[in-house]
Amino acid sequence: MQITVIVALALLVLTAIGFLVGRRRATRVASGQPSALHSLPSYYGYYIAIWTGLPALTLLFAYGSFGSSLVNILTMGELEREAAPLIRAYEADLSESPDYQTLNEALGQIETEIEATRNALEQARQARGPVDGYQRDLGELTLDRNDVSDAIENLREQIAFAVAARAPDSVAGHRARAGFEYWRARPDRRDLFIADARAIAFQEGFPSRVTPTLNAAGAAMVPWESLFRWSFAGAALALAVGGLTWARGQVSAGFRARNRVEGVISIVLFATSVIAILTTLGIVLSLVFESIRFFAAIEWRIHEFLFGLQWSPQIGIRADQVGQTGAFGAVPLFAGTALITVIAMCVAVPVGLFSAIYLSEYASPKFRSVAKPVLEILAGVPTVVYGFFALLTVGPFLREFAIFLGYEDAVTQSALSAGLVMGVMIIPFVSSLSDDVINAVPQSLRDGAYAMGATKSEAVRQVVLPAALPGIVGAILLAVSRAIGETMIVVMAAGPGANLTANPLESVTTITVQIVMLITGDQEFSSAKTLSAFALALVLFTLTLLLNIVALRVVERFRERYE
Amino acid sequence: MADIEFLDTSSEPRGDTLYHPVTVGYETKVATQGVSVRYGEKVALKDVTMDIPSRAVTACIGPSGCGKSTFLRAINRMNDTIDNAQVSGSVLIDGEEVNDRSVDPVVLRARVGMVFQKPNPFPKTIYENVAYGPKIHGLAGDRDQLDGIVETSLKKAGLWDEVADRLTHPGTSLSGGQQQRLVIARAIAVNPEVILMDEPCSALDPIATARIEELIDELRENYTLIIVTHSMAQAARVSQMTAFFHLGALVEYGPTEEIFTNPRDQRTQDYITGRFG
Repeated sequence: MQITVIVALALLVLTAIGFLVGRRRATRVASGQPSALHSLPSYYGYYIAIWTGLPALTLLFAYGSFGSSLVNILTMGELEREAAPLIRAYEADLSESPDYQTLNEALGQIETEIEATRNALEQARQARGPVDGYQRDLGELTLDRNDVSDAIENLREQIAFAVAARAPDSVAGHRARAGFEYWRARPDRRDLFIADARAIAFQEGFPSRVTPTLNAAGAAMVPWESLFRWSFAGAALALAVGGLTWARGQVSAGFRARNRVEGVISIVLFATSVIAILTTLGIVLSLVFESIRFFAAIEWRIHEFLFGLQWSPQIGIRADQVGQTGAFGAVPLFAGTALITVIAMCVAVPVGLFSAIYLSEYASPKFRSVAKPVLEILAGVPTVVYGFFALLTVGPFLREFAIFLGYEDAVTQSALSAGLVMGVMIIPFVSSLSDDVINAVPQSLRDGAYAMGATKSEAVRQVVLPAALPGIVGAILLAVSRAIGETMIVVMAAGPGANLTANPLESVTTITVQIVMLITGDQEFSSAKTLSAFALALVLFTLTLLLNIVALRVVERFRERYE
Repeated sequence: MADIEFLDTSSEPRGDTLYHPVTVGYETKVATQGVSVRYGEKVALKDVTMDIPSRAVTACIGPSGCGKSTFLRAINRMNDTIDNAQVSGSVLIDGEEVNDRSVDPVVLRARVGMVFQKPNPFPKTIYENVAYGPKIHGLAGDRDQLDGIVETSLKKAGLWDEVADRLTHPGTSLSGGQQQRLVIARAIAVNPEVILMDEPCSALDPIATARIEELIDELRENYTLIIVTHSMAQAARVSQMTAFFHLGALVEYGPTEEIFTNPRDQRTQDYITGRFG
């Protein structure tokens, strides 16, 4: 790593030198008359600096991003080639082993029986007949299958061990064994293997274990790594020097350095905006792919996910449990999200809109100058503080109040308390956006209304608000999308129970709460339970994206009309 | 505003340079006496006294910032809507004090319509734009009556033929000149006595301008019009009386012909011949 840092510093120095060289050269070409040059001397400096630094740094950056994976691929490919005899021997031993064949046949039989039982169960379910017997059978068969699979895995392990033992106890033998181990490993174990080997070879963190094979793999990486490191460092420096020399040769009085630099600037700006877009795209794609994994895990019953009425992803505790996939009907979450959002909007829209109307149409400049910043402070309160407020103040109060009114089942974590507090959180959002739109309504419309003999409230109600309506609708839609995506308040105040209810005094859960519950803590990212979080996130993302698009379109249309 | 003098509008002309409308054959509709307007510290209008004739067009001309728009807004108390505006002096319409505490500006503005520089149709349909005034002032008893008012107003504004088949379209869908005529129809719909026009043609092309000027001439038969304009030619074409304002003061006021052919004040002379402004 150090060599790369040194090269990067050297490149920066070269770039600075390139600038000075370019400026000096330009001055000399102009022979003391700067007006003879097409551009100011410093532009020639920038031009040469760009040619010195940009390609070389790009190369170095590419090495930093992809260099180590390149090394890994090359090393492991080399080791796997060396392991070819072992692999051949292993495959031969496996196919010759009578136990292996018997076990495989047994496994095939059990799979067929499972399939048959499953079909029978499905039929019984549709016929609404008794299903308990089938379910018991299915459970036993699954246990059997797992036993046979374990036996097969053990046998493979034994044979592999025996084959590996046959390799000589030399460097070449360890290398072959490393390639063999890597070849047999599952993808996630492969990653771990490489990480451990790198840790041993380059002191990148601590290895999870140290074995002769890992040592051999690590040692095999070292030559590749140093080859790449030195050749990339050399190439970058050569590129820098070459760029400097070439660009210096370009400098002449008529050379349009200023326009060239301008061109590079626009390319750099374009590249940064592309990075922003690609990042977003990457996030979306990772969501999509993980969601696809989830849908595959629930056997593509997407309709069940979108329209199912029962949400209990935590059911599967043991892998061999019947129905271990859990129930992934997300409707209770959608309904809970909708309920809380509706409650929040019931608070935020009237209060936010009316305060915006008051501030922009009625308030004296003095009051406005105090009230606007105060509203904006409300927007700056961290949502976790709102969460406390909902959980410790509003929730208990609402519960007491509901009990006082005779509703005995009231709970502290209710949709109402989460919704009310979320509404308060969104007030400044609605009011500040609406205030902007109302202020954007031309004064001439108000004058027109007053000149017709309208009172203030008539002018506001009949002329200003209709004119501002598209913008206000846009503001409300943006607020809704914020309410849907809000997490902290609902995590603290709404509760985790996926109840399908329209009663605001009961506890409901939202999409965001469930994502938090599913992802936090120690989770393995291969079970349907954890993966369902990504599918939920995808739904959430799609929802807010659509709302934002609609809101922006509406606001844009408003802008076209009055500006 | 404490001491309001009620003027005898039938008396002789006031001031040396001012013509009494009666002397040129009209009755007085609006009479102002010492009207001054201040926006905070800035004096926008100083002591304007003039009598404006009924059923005629009075043009207010003068360079930008001379107070002519402020004068217009003093007549229907539109200056009330500006926070720091202070109005003193007296404005009489048919001998009735406009600035009196008992006068409701809302009712006053139904009597004194106003048309602005930029066409400002409300974000409503063409029909609703014209029906707006009659509705808020309760002028129509039923739907038929309202339809009648809308039709008459649009006809008077010369817009009926163009929009009769699309009354439900938004007012903003019309062209600039049509919008300005729609706004005039909207003002006419409450049957005002006086119509104030603040540079009504400055945002329009020559053809639309000619159409509005024609309309102003027609409206003169039934209404008292006061129009602020930057175009000397327009003032000469449409008005019977012309007032020249300069630096917030009324410099000269008289029959249009006389102002343009034989101005008494040097500043008027300079302005209409284009030497400043």
